[in-house]
Amino acid sequence: MTSLQTLMKEIKNLKPIPAVTNQLLAVVDNPDSSMEDIANVIQYDPAITASVLKICNAAYFGLRNPAESIKDAVNMLGTDQVIELVLLKSGAKALCGKQEGYGLENGDMWRYSVSSAVIAKQLASTFSLKNKNTIFTSALIKDIGKTILESRVSDSAEKIRGLVQNKGQSFREAEKKILGIDHAELGAIIAKTWNFSPRMIKIIRNHHLADEKMIKDKEVAIVYLSDCICMMMGQGVGSDGLSYRFKASAMKELGVSANDVSMIIAEFATNMKDVEELLQIV
Amino acid sequence: MKQIVGVADMKVSSNIDDSIITYSLGSCIGLVIYDSVAKVGGVLHYMLPESSIDKEKAAGRPYMFADSGIPRLFKTAYNLGAAKQRMKVYVAGGAEILDQAGFFNIGKRNYMALKKIFFKNNVMIGKQDVGGNTNRTVRLEIGTGDIYVKTSGSKEVKI
Repeated sequence: MTSLQTLMKEIKNLKPIPAVTNQLLAVVDNPDSSMEDIANVIQYDPAITASVLKICNAAYFGLRNPAESIKDAVNMLGTDQVIELVLLKSGAKALCGKQEGYGLENGDMWRYSVSSAVIAKQLASTFSLKNKNTIFTSALIKDIGKTILESRVSDSAEKIRGLVQNKGQSFREAEKKILGIDHAELGAIIAKTWNFSPRMIKIIRNHHLADEKMIKDKEVAIVYLSDCICMMMGQGVGSDGLSYRFKASAMKELGVSANDVSMIIAEFATNMKDVEELLQIV
Repeated sequence: MKQIVGVADMKVSSNIDDSIITYSLGSCIGLVIYDSVAKVGGVLHYMLPESSIDKEKAAGRPYMFADSGIPRLFKTAYNLGAAKQRMKVYVAGGAEILDQAGFFNIGKRNYMALKKIFFKNNVMIGKQDVGGNTNRTVRLEIGTGDIYVKTSGSKEVKI
């Protein structure tokens, strides 16, 4: 078992998500916010502003007047795209490394997280949910708990594998049983330490639907579904593989059919080039 | 040379220096075919069983689906001199999430779609590593016809 105190110490040592993320999320999902409000928040973070401008100017290579401010970038790429770039950039540092305990090579977790965020946002639009950027960010960082838990998963790999292969337990259930905490719970603790909104903490904690009652929450169910779809597509999946529970009840609650799931997969694969571009933001 | 087969993609080669690899299959299927006399082989990485869900996508991305991808894989290999009766066939992938029953089980449906096409066309599977909850990567050496499979977090093994 791992003491919470030790984990808290390690959380403090994590590279935190930049403060601009929380400020931006507070502004973007508010329908009364203007483009100026959004630009004002972003430009307080010079590192993120610089990388958005770099991407913008690379996309429009050879411009006579390259983008010099977030406002220029918004005019060229559109508000939605700029917000997405900022949110991705803020998660990149924490997620792009390798997580050996989960059999994840460099870039695997990043690929998985970005794919899952893109699908979750697309689903949020399909269901006309207004917090699509919160949902995008929650899906992006939902596995952050793995970055701390991975060394313990590695130490107890055989025990965990035993429970998964011989006792029919999911990987999350095995983590909980052997380590006393699973990566979703730990992710929620990290999100709380980083002052994320209660809504995001809830989504991260429940992204494997450990508490089945949470299927009633559309935002949780959407991030759960996007996670299932990414597992099926396999890109960036580690040694925990597809050993998580599929809840048909969540699909029923969302009104999503098997055919809809296939369509989402087909759509994602068709737009894979756009996702490859997003991955380059690291 | 290493030839990478992306998602919803296919590569066929007769170059004995080529190694064809497809990563992270999940519920997708990696179909490997090889003719040891002609030294022609190929790998298809398809994601979904039937193209009927979206005819337009199937026209643009035929390797996304079993029914539009599998015939193209074989035909492309025939064009490079491979013969059906000599073809060695290996199937990997089709993994499923725990409790993923019925129509939602895309891994199983992907595999059943392949079996149906093979049954109709008298194609036998030589070896396979299908189903379960693991994520697989598959590689074919054109020079030797050797096939390797790797599950995430483990070492690559020759099958």
